[in-house]
Amino acid sequence: MPSEPATSLLIFLAVAQATAAGMLVAARLLRVRARAPARLKDTTYECGETATGVTWVRFHARYYVVALFFVIFDLEAVFLLPWALGARDLGPGGFVAVAGFVGVLMLGWFWALRKGSLRWQ
Amino acid sequence: MSVPSEHLFVLAAVLFAIGAAGFFLRRNLIVVLMCVELMLNAANLSFLAASRMHALAAGSPGLSLEGPTFAIFVIVVAAIEAAVGLALVIALYRNRQTVSLDALTDLKD
Amino acid sequence: MPPWIQVFALELAVTATALVVLVCDALRPCRARTLAWFSVAALATALCTSFVVEPAGTAPHGVYAAGPWSLFFERLFLAAGILGVLGSLDWLESRVARRPAEYLFLMLMSLVGAMLLAGARDWVLLVVAFELMGIPLYVLAAYAKLDGPPGEPQLAAEAALKLYVTGAASTALTLFGLALVIGAGGSSSLAGLASPDVAPLASAGMLLVLAGFGFKLGAVPFHMWVPDTYQGAPTPFVAFLSVAPKAGGLVALVVVLLHGWPRHHELWAPALGVIAAASMVVGNLFALPQRDARRLLGYSGVAQMGYVLVAVCARSESGVAMALFFLVSYVFTNFGVFLVLHAAAENSGGHALDQITGLSRRSPWLGAALLLFVLSLAGIPFAVGFWAKLFVLLAAFEAGLVGLVVTGVVLSVVALFYYLSVARSTFMADGRSAEPVRAGLALRAAISLCLAAVLGLGLWPGPLLAQARLAAAAFGGGP
Repeated sequence: MPSEPATSLLIFLAVAQATAAGMLVAARLLRVRARAPARLKDTTYECGETATGVTWVRFHARYYVVALFFVIFDLEAVFLLPWALGARDLGPGGFVAVAGFVGVLMLGWFWALRKGSLRWQ
Repeated sequence: MSVPSEHLFVLAAVLFAIGAAGFFLRRNLIVVLMCVELMLNAANLSFLAASRMHALAAGSPGLSLEGPTFAIFVIVVAAIEAAVGLALVIALYRNRQTVSLDALTDLKD
Repeated sequence: MPPWIQVFALELAVTATALVVLVCDALRPCRARTLAWFSVAALATALCTSFVVEPAGTAPHGVYAAGPWSLFFERLFLAAGILGVLGSLDWLESRVARRPAEYLFLMLMSLVGAMLLAGARDWVLLVVAFELMGIPLYVLAAYAKLDGPPGEPQLAAEAALKLYVTGAASTALTLFGLALVIGAGGSSSLAGLASPDVAPLASAGMLLVLAGFGFKLGAVPFHMWVPDTYQGAPTPFVAFLSVAPKAGGLVALVVVLLHGWPRHHELWAPALGVIAAASMVVGNLFALPQRDARRLLGYSGVAQMGYVLVAVCARSESGVAMALFFLVSYVFTNFGVFLVLHAAAENSGGHALDQITGLSRRSPWLGAALLLFVLSLAGIPFAVGFWAKLFVLLAAFEAGLVGLVVTGVVLSVVALFYYLSVARSTFMADGRSAEPVRAGLALRAAISLCLAAVLGLGLWPGPLLAQARLAAAAFGGGP
């Protein structure tokens, strides 16, 4: 006999599976069939916006540059979060340290700005 | 309810093994980079698992500080490595129009 | 300003230099020459200051210990940085004039990482410093991705990727191993693994960490990237790559093994011995058939790392001192060799051995310098490399590592063949052209510095030996 939490986990899994399967089966039974193959059915959005092109295109390299900067700057927040949690206990010393860190980071941002890496065109 | 620490370590080891296997077997550089990320995240998981294990042994509910600290630095190292790696892959692609490891054959004995 | 900040004084100075270079160039694009001479002046000032005011003390939580040990390496890396910038200057200006500031910034930051390694006493600092040293190198290797000698394919991207892929894997390996070790010890202090008998999981972790460092050192069986990267990356950068990160990897290894895990030597010492022996064997034998001078020197570097690992295997204070002496000798000699090659190749268009023929006729000065450096690498008296090899093997002999000593001696005889083949091709008569070789002022200055060091330390090894012993003693008895 498995332990109590394991049982509830199994029940949860079973219910989740049954719900998903049930929805699919119900949709199959209740759906309205198109009488003839319609071109509309094959479009990206069956109703609403008309798609203006295909998604299978090459993205411009500048998306990559922006993504790169986003990843780097976004990750620095990882260091700010623990400091923010303990900011009161760390006092002014902690603030100065974090300010120095952000300051150096801003130098990097300044460099990227001046070198035109953040310019879209 | 609590998951035994061993399970976390086993999960980390399995993740690391999958990453290592992919690193050696796959030829697409992007996939190789993903495998390295997988290995690094396995390291993260075991840092946290070890930290939790020590905290549990000491009877405190949270994590001991070493694990999460290390994990934060690993996350950043991993991100920077990925950024540099992708840039290098792009440089290679512009030279050779391929991202396959098999294309790296100009330098050999 | 907290009082402990002065223990990082030199690192902070180099970081500030790097930032000034980067920001000045961003404000108003500067010439490569200006930025490089500024960096050299800053590094030289830091180096001179370090002889006047010696940083000492520990950082909070014991994460960093400054003293003669860390100072020895900081000075070595500062010297390597000066040589690196001087050696790259002319190339930087003529080939990649568009982005000189970023090149210098990356090189200086890599230097900061290396400088932090010796004093690190905490795993977090050690790993971050190691990555700070390593990641800029990936970028630098691909710096001139479209540059290359005429007729050759553009190799830099491939060289950089080979460095990157092995480097990234070694980082992952180190970190996963570290997770197991720290998990067992419960403390991120380097010496946190207190009990001498550890769980199997932790011992597996220690071997993984060792393997990770082996990659960075380029020791066998993790040496695959070395010859490829040396051949493909820009030569002035390879000169830097072949010394600074290797010295950094070695000091990290020494700190980890001899400060962190001295009580676990039964576990790592045999593995290290095998790695050292294999590096000497594979490096020396694979260097024999090489026709490209940079590949040859790559394998020679693998072999040299084997020798210095022999000194670490001795696990004694004198062994560490001899490893330090060896590293200094290796830094100046290898830098010199690569820079002379660079000067020759800039004029003859390639690094193959038959392309540097007649160098001694075209430039007697460069030819003589190359000969001296090669003899020093081979360990011929009385170049500094002779003392380095001798001291290392003596230390290993004192520690009873007879097998490793015999391997080392036999293989240095083998090494004579390929080192002398480099020297011979230099002096061979039929050079392709008889034009004199031109080298810029900075390059000549860097080669002269290396030459002076190799000659000077070869004739008076005493003072350096005393410094190395002092540093090793401080390391052994330090925190």
